[in-house]
Amino acid sequence: MAALVTAQNLKKHFAVSRKLTEIFRGEHPVVRAVDGLDFTIDQGESVGLLGESGCGKTTTGRLLLNLTRPTDGRISFDGSDLTQVKGPDLKAFRRKAQLVFQNPFEALNPRFTIYRSLAEPLVNMNIPAEEHEDRMMVAMNRVHLPDVEQYYEKFPHQLSGGQLQRVVLARALVLEPTFVVADEPVSMLDVSVRAGILNVMREVRDTMDLTALYISHDFALVRYVCERTMVMYLGKVVEDGPSEEVVERPQHPYTKALVQAVPVPHVDQSHDPLPIIGSMPDAQNPPSGCRFRDRCPYAFARCAEEEPPLKEIGSKHKAACHLLDHVSPT
Amino acid sequence: MILSIEDLKIQYRTDRGITQAVDGATFGVPEGQAVGLVGESGCGKTTVARAINGVMAKNASIVGGKVIFDGQDVTAASPAEREPLLWRRIAFIPQSAMNSLDPVYRVEKQIEEILIDRGGYDKNRSRARAVELFEMVGLDAKRLRDYPHQFSGGMRQRAAIALALALNPTLVIADEPVTALDVIVQRQVLDTFRDLQSRLKISVILVTHDISVVAYTCDQVVVMYAGVAVESGPTGQVLTKPFHPYTMGLYHAFPDLHSSRGELTPIEGSPPDLMFPPKGCPFAERCPFALDKCHAERPPLEDAGGNHYAACWRISDAVELRRQAGEVSTWQRS
Repeated sequence: MAALVTAQNLKKHFAVSRKLTEIFRGEHPVVRAVDGLDFTIDQGESVGLLGESGCGKTTTGRLLLNLTRPTDGRISFDGSDLTQVKGPDLKAFRRKAQLVFQNPFEALNPRFTIYRSLAEPLVNMNIPAEEHEDRMMVAMNRVHLPDVEQYYEKFPHQLSGGQLQRVVLARALVLEPTFVVADEPVSMLDVSVRAGILNVMREVRDTMDLTALYISHDFALVRYVCERTMVMYLGKVVEDGPSEEVVERPQHPYTKALVQAVPVPHVDQSHDPLPIIGSMPDAQNPPSGCRFRDRCPYAFARCAEEEPPLKEIGSKHKAACHLLDHVSPT
Repeated sequence: MILSIEDLKIQYRTDRGITQAVDGATFGVPEGQAVGLVGESGCGKTTVARAINGVMAKNASIVGGKVIFDGQDVTAASPAEREPLLWRRIAFIPQSAMNSLDPVYRVEKQIEEILIDRGGYDKNRSRARAVELFEMVGLDAKRLRDYPHQFSGGMRQRAAIALALALNPTLVIADEPVTALDVIVQRQVLDTFRDLQSRLKISVILVTHDISVVAYTCDQVVVMYAGVAVESGPTGQVLTKPFHPYTMGLYHAFPDLHSSRGELTPIEGSPPDLMFPPKGCPFAERCPFALDKCHAERPPLEDAGGNHYAACWRISDAVELRRQAGEVSTWQRS
């Protein structure tokens, strides 16, 4: 399948405020939020970007949507270099790529009716006014809010969280995008409502042939919605593969710990201690070599010296760990 | 039972009128066990937890029922009578540890304050106890001199647990203790919590919206919906053999990392407005199995055997309902 989004050595460093000593020494400390990503997302693929807070997953999403400029590296979208896109081309890109926000209670303007919120992207993209109603109707049907008239004149505070998130999703779909980034789309919702949104997202992905990146910290959710999972740790992708593979046969020690740490709704689950210690180090001074080494129970000398590359270990399954050179994958 | 709650009813006075936040909660906490109080936002779980501790919002009042802690009815007690219970017998860890630590004082000072003011410790003994507490929850005693902002989220949560355990309470109530934490930190904090609970033989009420956290940590579970404790019992029983359709729905709406089961089933609709609580079962409106009776009359909490209770008119049909609840089509509305 054809690649839609490609990231090459993608980096985003944020400058932080300097201490007086750093100013005198002429140092410019940075937070390495995203620090060298290489991946490809194919047309029609849905990829989950999984990681803990501060690992750079949201920044990655913003980079892919061209909402922030990379410090280094290249992103290409549908063959064109995103960092070079300007003017009408940029507007065309904005039409094709959309963002679904995390908190539906904040994503919609409280003073806009639902109609106005939904129409805004259409107005911005100069879609003829006579098409608006039809497009909005299609989008609202996609998110299973069919009796549109009931919603159009309402304001966000009059809807429930589940309905709001559907509206937010509909607004992202109203321009018929090809690429959608959803940043923690259900983390603010209750469980009974969440399942409905997840099902809508699965359905939309299939019917619209959308290419999607779901950013989440919730492993179970990513597995449910995405066929492929990328696990991020401290600005790097450490494992990438089919979701089922990554969950059932994780190869990177970090992914293994993540899988083990997720509680499941059964009483008979493992209570074994986690094989890792501590918490994520500071993204200003990541450890040399492998970023995970100071928490990794298997780390050895080479891990400090050399950064492990993402290495193919199975069909479409990659992990970045030196151990994979030494032991055969299990 | 160290704590038993009998038909507790709590109202909030608001500008719009009276909200029946808790409308019949009955459950018990056996000595030395952990009980999970689960439910979705607005179900009244935090209100119940706060009522036990006696730290309720100003506009809240208990309008019925009893909270009996170690033989004493806490709801009938005056603030002066309740005072000796706080921290010493019942400790409360509020939602998000951020809010339970004062940003302008060193953590050490905050622990000492409780030890000295509430526990009658002197300065030296309190310092030793603070070190002991920090080690107990897995924090480096050197960090006692830090301010809360110097701690990570997980460390703050541990500090809040240390604070709660300071005076060896009998009962610890933790309100969403791990919600804001990343999964690995969450697991580490839960492990510490479990370990301390069994070692110190404290009773715990864990308020959460996450049934897998309950499955991981708690012996018993109480499921709340729209202010009513609709089901309670041993965790394994409630999760595998639920009697209340809401519990069934909740279970099937919940993603499970290791299960490749087909589709999650949402529960259509939303909880009732507690300003106008429904006459019948609060879940009837969303329940795929509701009968006419369910809309007309509220079901009592019934004994389903094996310390398992549920408030549903169709308890006797549970086997069949469980089977149907496993199918996606059951929960779909036409």
